[in-house]
Amino acid sequence: MNKIQQRDVFDAIADPTRRRLIQLLAESEDRPLHELTAQFPMGRTGVSKHLSILKEAGLVQDRKVGRETRYRLNAAPLKEVQDWVAYYSKYWSANMMRLGQLLEEDDEP
Amino acid sequence: MNLALNMDFHFETTVEKLWSALTESDKLAKWIADNDFKPIVGHRFQFRHPPSEYWDGIVNSEVLVVDAPHRLSFLWVVGEERHTVTLTLEDLGDGKVQLHLEQTGLSNQAALAGAKYGWGAWAQKLEQVLAE
Repeated sequence: MNKIQQRDVFDAIADPTRRRLIQLLAESEDRPLHELTAQFPMGRTGVSKHLSILKEAGLVQDRKVGRETRYRLNAAPLKEVQDWVAYYSKYWSANMMRLGQLLEEDDEP
Repeated sequence: MNLALNMDFHFETTVEKLWSALTESDKLAKWIADNDFKPIVGHRFQFRHPPSEYWDGIVNSEVLVVDAPHRLSFLWVVGEERHTVTLTLEDLGDGKVQLHLEQTGLSNQAALAGAKYGWGAWAQKLEQVLAE
């Protein structure tokens, strides 16, 4: 199932609270709002707003279990970010190896 | 656009030698790619990598900051991607120099197909890579 992404994944992860939420959700199957709220110096409304933004980016899914809503991570959209980071960290690491060699050659008489 | 790639590298050299490796065109060619770089703010140049199936190898750049011998910054434009690369040098003493690399400002599309790491590996890096 491919839902239309309403929000850019890069915007969604630009905020430190939302990155922390992603991490918390990555550590467990799914969690209710009150458990997540306990981790932040803000109220339910604030955390709930951040979760909505993550939902719009397709990063979070929610489901009703009895009277509570439980949230879980959907990491797939992060692949876009992961590819970028992985590509450039490999690219620069390889370049820096060559730079190290170049600096060593400079030392030779 | 707040996402940034931050990396630190250490070299046994002097700040001056490292600076020359970052700002002399023929030396840049040895560790990044062929280029027509000049250490002049506003100078437009290209890095020309060997083409691959994913891209033509061309990075369009413009020099943004030349603060010898401490900081160099340039644009990094590939297709829709428009980044800024900033290199900062710091003398650590004992003949060691730290080079900090920051790449920021990405567009909506990660157009470059990179190595595919699993979600687990990425999560471990989350803190260090995305921390501002």
